[in-house]
Amino acid sequence: MNGGVILNWLASTPDFAVPYALAALGLILSERAGVLSLGAEGLMLVGALAGIGAQIAIGQPAVSLALAMLAAATVSVLFAVMVIWLRVNQVIAGLALVFFCQGLTALVGSLAGWTNHATEGIGAMGLWPLSLLPGVGRLFEQNAMVWLTLPLFGAVAWFFARTATGLRLRAVGENPQAADAAGIRVPAWRFAAVLAGSALVGLAGAYISVVSTKLWIAGMTGGRGWIAVGLVIFARWSPWKALVGALLFGCIEALIPQLAAAGVQLPQYFVMMTPYAVTLGVMVWVALSRRGADEEPGALGQAYVREERR
Amino acid sequence: MAEAALAPDTARGAAPHRAQPLARRRYALEIRQHMAWRWQALILAAALAAGFAISAAILVAAGVPADELANEFVTQTFLDGQNFRAVLFQAAPMILVGLAGSLAFRARFWNLGLEGQMIWGAIGATAVSIWQLGPEPLRLPLMFAAAIGCGLLWVLGPAWLKLRLGVNEIISTLMLNYMAANFLLHLVYGAWKDPKDSFPYSPQFRVFERLPELGAGIGSAILLAGIVALLAWWLVGVSRAGLYLRFVDANPRVAHANGVPVRRTIYGAVLLSGAMAGLAGFAVAAGQEGRLTQAFYQGYGFSGILIAFLARNNPLAATVVALLVAALFVTGRSLQVFYQVPFSMVQLIQAIIVVCVASSDFFIRHRLRRVGTETAP
Repeated sequence: MNGGVILNWLASTPDFAVPYALAALGLILSERAGVLSLGAEGLMLVGALAGIGAQIAIGQPAVSLALAMLAAATVSVLFAVMVIWLRVNQVIAGLALVFFCQGLTALVGSLAGWTNHATEGIGAMGLWPLSLLPGVGRLFEQNAMVWLTLPLFGAVAWFFARTATGLRLRAVGENPQAADAAGIRVPAWRFAAVLAGSALVGLAGAYISVVSTKLWIAGMTGGRGWIAVGLVIFARWSPWKALVGALLFGCIEALIPQLAAAGVQLPQYFVMMTPYAVTLGVMVWVALSRRGADEEPGALGQAYVREERR
Repeated sequence: MAEAALAPDTARGAAPHRAQPLARRRYALEIRQHMAWRWQALILAAALAAGFAISAAILVAAGVPADELANEFVTQTFLDGQNFRAVLFQAAPMILVGLAGSLAFRARFWNLGLEGQMIWGAIGATAVSIWQLGPEPLRLPLMFAAAIGCGLLWVLGPAWLKLRLGVNEIISTLMLNYMAANFLLHLVYGAWKDPKDSFPYSPQFRVFERLPELGAGIGSAILLAGIVALLAWWLVGVSRAGLYLRFVDANPRVAHANGVPVRRTIYGAVLLSGAMAGLAGFAVAAGQEGRLTQAFYQGYGFSGILIAFLARNNPLAATVVALLVAALFVTGRSLQVFYQVPFSMVQLIQAIIVVCVASSDFFIRHRLRRVGTETAP
């Protein structure tokens, strides 16, 4: 492999990393509040479909992405009502949400005729003055969403570490009984966290359809939502570690087309297995290292019932 | 009443509780300790009715005439001989994945890898056919055994990882699904492609490699599924292993303290679950398609989970629910032909019914109690 290939590879990495990063960030938001969001795969599909639909109807990428966030948050109300008010098992509710969204998006996409309908994406934006550097300047020619993702991570990390609101949210996920006794309204905070997190997950899906592929195909997220769920465990619910993990997965996914373009002969379907195999490997590594096991939000996956003694 | 493995922990072991209303709170939410089965059945029926009503509304919105719905779903599916045979044909793998889900969930193991294990079951059976292992009369039993073995091995990894290292089985089994699906594509687009017409499927199985017909157009796959269902019922309802399984489900630590082999019980249930999913792959490959095809498994993973959930992990109930899901699949295909309703409608309807039934549990487990209207300062 020569320098040009490596540069191409690195330059295309962020494009593949952004969906993982945004989805993981959204999941961290809701899981820090104690709600296990297995529905990411489904919400990404909702975001992807809504984004493409808006792109076909309106054609403004910024509007499309915003509408996609709104759509994902709206659908997640169903999940939030199930797990927060009706206290449905969060695994069951998450799975039901994924299947609901898979069915819904495939149905709406084909009834509306949005499948394989190519749209305009958004252009690259150079990060001046770094993009003017000879050679490596190309690394800094990325679309606006890539540049927006970084401050978004900073904002969420700051929110959790430095604000009273973030502290309350973490308290709700860590020990809802104590939070409740301190006067924090647990269901309301969890509701807000699920909605905000789902909006980010929807944005991740919309990034894939509106910015990367520029079209809709049913089931196009291909397990990225599940990988993001694994990624959050790998990152121990920390935004910055999740960003590193997302870049790792972005690297792996970006390598696949580069190898093909460089004429490396590899069995195609084995190459396509790599993201899933790496996820599995990462999960095993996390289990083996056992570091930061106490980072997991204490009440993750548990419904909070004030009336119930524990 | 035995608690189902899928039930949330909320009701289990909750101490009797007397509501202590705060000021101005006129209603208190209480955990219900017990509910007469008649009321439970009524709530379940109401949830199903709500699910059907929402589904019907969506179907009408998608262009199916409202007055045709009952005709399509009931008359055409169950009363028409040919369609009913189609339902039985479809039900065989459905029953097997439903049983596979029930068994794993009874051991509190989220086996979401039913599709992957099904793919490997079909690959194992097809390998026996392609490599022509064994003499002709033994070929079908060998394919059967290979399917069981492959399905079992594909779930062994996640089971070991979970019990030994504590790796979340939801993620591991799902990742293995995607890997199995890609490996299937590798085979049917590569070495195992049918040389006759080079479509992405394996060469057709010979006659003695297929599940024979019982007569009247009914395949033996449904008989196989029925036998497995009875065995599963005996296993969880009658045998000592079933008792262990209930003990482990209720409280693994107490079970361990009482000398129940907890790990072995969980391994047993999970591996049997994989074996049954593998058998479902065999039922599709040798009973329906007669070859290995590239997307035969789609929809079964979720259906298996749904069947186990609605049947509360009871094997006999799972068989009945599987028949209904099979009927939904058959109806879905006919709606696709007659009204151009996309097949994803079937998945949406399944998901809506799960959402309704899961939510209805709230009313079984809680009650709203009026706690007086005086407003304390």
